[in-house]
Amino acid sequence: MINSESWDWECNKKMVADTSKWKDQFEDVWEPYISSDGEKIASIVKVGEGEFNIAVNKETWGEEPFEKIWYSRFSPDGRLTALITKEMEWTMAVDGKTWEEMYEYIWDTKFSANGKVIAATTKQDGVYAITVDEKTWECPVKLESIASHIISPDGKTAVAIAQTVATAEADVNAFTKGAWSVIVNGKPWNDNYVDVYGLVISADGKNIAAEYRNSICEYGILVNGTPWNEKFGCTWEPVFNPTNSDEISVPVRQEGQWFLATNGRIVWDKGFVNLMYQTYSPDGSNIAAGVAPSFAKWTIAVNGQPWSTTFNECILKPSFSPDGRKVVAIAKDSGNWFLVVDGTVLGEGCDNVWPPAFSPNGDKVIYKIEKNGKFAVAVNGEVKDKEYEALWNPVVSPDGTKVMICGVKGGKYYRKVVLLSDI
Amino acid sequence: MKPTIAIREPVVDDLMDQTEKSLTEDQIEKVINEVIDQETGVRLQTYVNTCIHCGLCSEACHWFLSNDRDVSFAPVTKVKDTIWVMLEKKGKVDAAFIKRCSQIAHTECNVCRRCGMYCPFGIDIAYMMLVVRRICAKLEMVPLYLQDTVNSHAATMNQMWVKPDEWIDTLQWQEEEGQGYVPSARLPLEKEGAEIMYSVIGPEPKFLAQLLGNITVIMNVAGCDWTMPATAGWDNSNMAMYSGDFEVMARVERLHHETAQRLKVKKIVMGECGHAFRGGEYDGPTWLGWMSPPIPIVHAVAFYYDLLVSGRIKIAKKVEGPVTAQYPCNIIRNAGLGSKLRYIMNAVCEDFVDLVPNDRHAFCCNAGGDTINCGPPWKKIRVQSARLQSENFKRTGAHTIVTPCHNCHSGVEDIVDGYKLGMHVKFFSELLIEAMEIPEDLQA
Repeated sequence: MINSESWDWECNKKMVADTSKWKDQFEDVWEPYISSDGEKIASIVKVGEGEFNIAVNKETWGEEPFEKIWYSRFSPDGRLTALITKEMEWTMAVDGKTWEEMYEYIWDTKFSANGKVIAATTKQDGVYAITVDEKTWECPVKLESIASHIISPDGKTAVAIAQTVATAEADVNAFTKGAWSVIVNGKPWNDNYVDVYGLVISADGKNIAAEYRNSICEYGILVNGTPWNEKFGCTWEPVFNPTNSDEISVPVRQEGQWFLATNGRIVWDKGFVNLMYQTYSPDGSNIAAGVAPSFAKWTIAVNGQPWSTTFNECILKPSFSPDGRKVVAIAKDSGNWFLVVDGTVLGEGCDNVWPPAFSPNGDKVIYKIEKNGKFAVAVNGEVKDKEYEALWNPVVSPDGTKVMICGVKGGKYYRKVVLLSDI
Repeated sequence: MKPTIAIREPVVDDLMDQTEKSLTEDQIEKVINEVIDQETGVRLQTYVNTCIHCGLCSEACHWFLSNDRDVSFAPVTKVKDTIWVMLEKKGKVDAAFIKRCSQIAHTECNVCRRCGMYCPFGIDIAYMMLVVRRICAKLEMVPLYLQDTVNSHAATMNQMWVKPDEWIDTLQWQEEEGQGYVPSARLPLEKEGAEIMYSVIGPEPKFLAQLLGNITVIMNVAGCDWTMPATAGWDNSNMAMYSGDFEVMARVERLHHETAQRLKVKKIVMGECGHAFRGGEYDGPTWLGWMSPPIPIVHAVAFYYDLLVSGRIKIAKKVEGPVTAQYPCNIIRNAGLGSKLRYIMNAVCEDFVDLVPNDRHAFCCNAGGDTINCGPPWKKIRVQSARLQSENFKRTGAHTIVTPCHNCHSGVEDIVDGYKLGMHVKFFSELLIEAMEIPEDLQA
């Protein structure tokens, strides 16, 4: 977890950087990113023909530019990473310092929860691997490709879906025998599968689950390399109970309907046209999911019971308030996005809505919205702080009394902390 | 009901031949009845019970017309020889029959839906062919090369086995190519909050990377706020929709739409591909329970129309000489973009020569519905059965045929080659790049 207690939570507003000056200073300025604590803003900037650097607040990453830079992202601990190339080779740069090893290619940066561990997919001499803090997997089989990877919250486990068997063009038999597997810290699971999807690691990092496909309509769930006995017509990605890593819930399709199954057993007796984004409450006792009780009517079901309010376009992943009593989701209806709490729509429709932060007791939801090309902070449906050119998700202080709002107005990047009661 | 006499040259398709040997009649009966009972309903029954076997659909079908009115290619025959038999025999058919069904539904029908327009009752015969494809797919009776592209979709979420690094690397390379025209051009990757997510189909990074350079120039000249994803979800194509593997189809479409949602864009603009539009706009959302795509999808033809009408792209010099255009079924007959296609053709060409018949009545390129993805074993009959459209092209006297669809592009290239038409085949963006004005302040 990000330790936000050490952040500056004094109520104040400060201009961190006048980013409007970057446009005069550099040939081109890319979209900005900010650090978790809001103290830093960074953009990739073009400084000459084939020369790039990163501007961070009032400085750049040293004098020497890179040939290319992309995917600049702040680690949760505040370090700035980016993927860079020098003399046609790629590597990771962290706060301007590059990893020693260079690669044919590097992409898909991931962080541990506290940001101390940095991982990415790398390719060298035609072999794919995950590189964690500069240490590249030594895998007993050649990985022909890596489709995706994740790391555990503690950063100790890196897992990837990888192709472990080379297949010739149009060799459907080799494909059907299974050419893909799950690689855990460089070690493949015993078996190969036709396809693997939806990789997840439990909160304690002990267990790994994924969907797999055996044939056109035979899907199942693998837990640490062992398949569930039950097979389904289709599945979506599994989720671990945050307080019990032996419990996994997954949407499964049977006879044309979607159900929620836990550890292989269907636990919601009602079937849906679709069921996605199942989410546990923080204490693991309740599950909410996006469901379509009938065609083009989307809502949230909590423990199998759908809200009465439905939306005709879509619904996104729900979340619980910290105390687990409220469920919130972003929904789209007739071209507008809305935030919905326990089935009640908050405020007017927007062009975009971002996932909210909660006050400790869940009575306030604070979130970013977009309307007419400008961004604003909304609280329980009321627009409070408007006209940002760029805005990041508001963050509630650990003691639950304040909120940090970071955004760009008039070309200047501001970080401000206000009392929750004042917003 | 007696089977129709169909005279065909033998075709070796390793996967279909192999599956024929391994299928049991019990398997076949179970799958047919499962699909009929669980995945079809009143729609299929209505179509089957309404058809009076008049055969008027035949006159609409380029397979029938290109093959000297051979009745074995008529739409009504295709239905009679497949789903009718399955229903009549309640699934008690053999593996050779299923193989013939796949041959008919996968390789001899483009599900172009022209026949449905000419049916006095409006029966959607293509839907019935898709039901046949679904049954065949569940029995793993799919042409080899089509199945390979479906496998690619299933494993990589793109149709051409493009690896993640190859995708990103190609975009970065094509950004540089675009900078050859417009030095300040940028192809922004993973830009959250851009107005547009641009998506393409697998062959673009694999074989036709210059199209990515073209769109970089067009987007930058037009001043669009756009992005492309650096993750899976970039490929908008969907061969699984046409093979009958609807679960993979849905997974691919879901990821495509969720990638757009993750990037918080206002719309998806897709490159020049017809079936991809169908998958993203209709088949995928329908299977997933969406009435329409949660993030609206705009086909390239409509997008270029908007850019030209609004003046965001201006034409400096029109393409000289007669140019014609193929009307892709999935965006014209099935989505009504015909007048926009003619507008953009007239905007960039001095002499746009329209096809006859045109618009919703235009004939399929005969590559559509993934018949082209059935691969080399089935190419000869496919090209042979495009004779009608080859004659339509020839009559235009055009030097170039524009194909705002990848399947059309490959299919029309085969037609041009097979019938020695001596015409060029281009995407619209290739003409636009030749004709558009690059403002002085953006020029190299």
